[in-house]
Amino acid sequence: MLKQAILALALSGTMLAGPCMAHAKLQSSFPAKDAHLTAAPKALTLTFNEAAQLAVLKLTGGGKEIPIAVDKNAKASPSFTFPLPALAPGSYTVQWTAVAADDGHVTKGSFAFSISA
Amino acid sequence: MELTGWDAAAVCAKAITYAATLGAAGAIFFLSYCGSLLDELLRSRIRSLAGSLLIAAALASGAKVLLSGASMSGELAGMFDSGFLGMILGAGEGRATGMRMAGLALAALAIPSNPRFRALALLGAAAAAISFAGVGHIRGLLPNAAPLLLLCLHLLCAAFWLGALGPLLIAARDGSDREAALLASRFGKLALGVVALLLAAGAGVLWTLIGDAAQFWSSDYGRMMAMKLLMVAALLSIAAVNKLYLTPKLLSGNAKAVIYFRRSVKTEMVLGALILLITAAFTTVAGPPQ
Repeated sequence: MLKQAILALALSGTMLAGPCMAHAKLQSSFPAKDAHLTAAPKALTLTFNEAAQLAVLKLTGGGKEIPIAVDKNAKASPSFTFPLPALAPGSYTVQWTAVAADDGHVTKGSFAFSISA
Repeated sequence: MELTGWDAAAVCAKAITYAATLGAAGAIFFLSYCGSLLDELLRSRIRSLAGSLLIAAALASGAKVLLSGASMSGELAGMFDSGFLGMILGAGEGRATGMRMAGLALAALAIPSNPRFRALALLGAAAAAISFAGVGHIRGLLPNAAPLLLLCLHLLCAAFWLGALGPLLIAARDGSDREAALLASRFGKLALGVVALLLAAGAGVLWTLIGDAAQFWSSDYGRMMAMKLLMVAALLSIAAVNKLYLTPKLLSGNAKAVIYFRRSVKTEMVLGALILLITAAFTTVAGPPQ
């Protein structure tokens, strides 16, 4: 019975195996962090160091949130691009939350950019 | 590193899940290796403790998932958002939680007094203890399975050590001094090898996660790990006093020894809880320097 228990425990360890990734870090973005743009960007792009699922994306400017639709059911990807409405000159903040696809680690971050008149 | 209230709540739920799961598993291990030394009263009370911890572990596991949703979204609604919960469960937490729940259900077979199910209960307890390796930073090192196996060994040893504290306190409080002495002695003999394995496995996992020693002190992960190691050193010191000083006094029939032993075990429990809280923190809000 002990041998069976050890074998069963070893087999149950295989449940722990699976595809692997480490936690996601924002590698680059457009607009870039602290960028001063002369024209409003047409799209917002986030690029992570590996595939992740984007859980939360908030763009705020002038005290208001600009709606951006995030598909929480989308497959994990290292890069996400969202079309933007015409943005008025001013300062903007992007807040994001991502989940690494396998280790489940949640990372959050934010960055700012501005558009000059 | 900024923490919201929801982040802190998620960390606390994780710490409680660790404590309850490892505590339940360790209590079931204790029933197995100390069973012959336990009278029916102590055996019954330790089974009750194990049962309560099994229920707490299951509830805390569920709360952890819900609070992770709130932490991700930054608001209460995130706890009930199917999109967030789907992401959390699909990203490894589902595997870990599923294995833990299955393990806890099997481990519950230890609660009735029928010895026929002892092997299954032990298997369930072990599975629940190692379920925490089903998600987390260590998975980033796959397909190298050695760190994962080391983490599983570390978790089993942690369950053995921390999970024995509740039963030892019950024995010191409700059993005869002689019973407490024999149980402390039996545990102490086994703990020597288990703690050595715990430390070696933990060092192995840390070595593989921290690629550059210079980054250890410059990262939040490294600084929190350092706090954990400090607590572990304090715990080891108290355990050494128990083994080398108090247990011989207990065995010799010293009347005051059991009082000091109870206090010592309670102190170990507090330190153990702090270790699990720090571990929950650095495995949630920080990551190993890459």
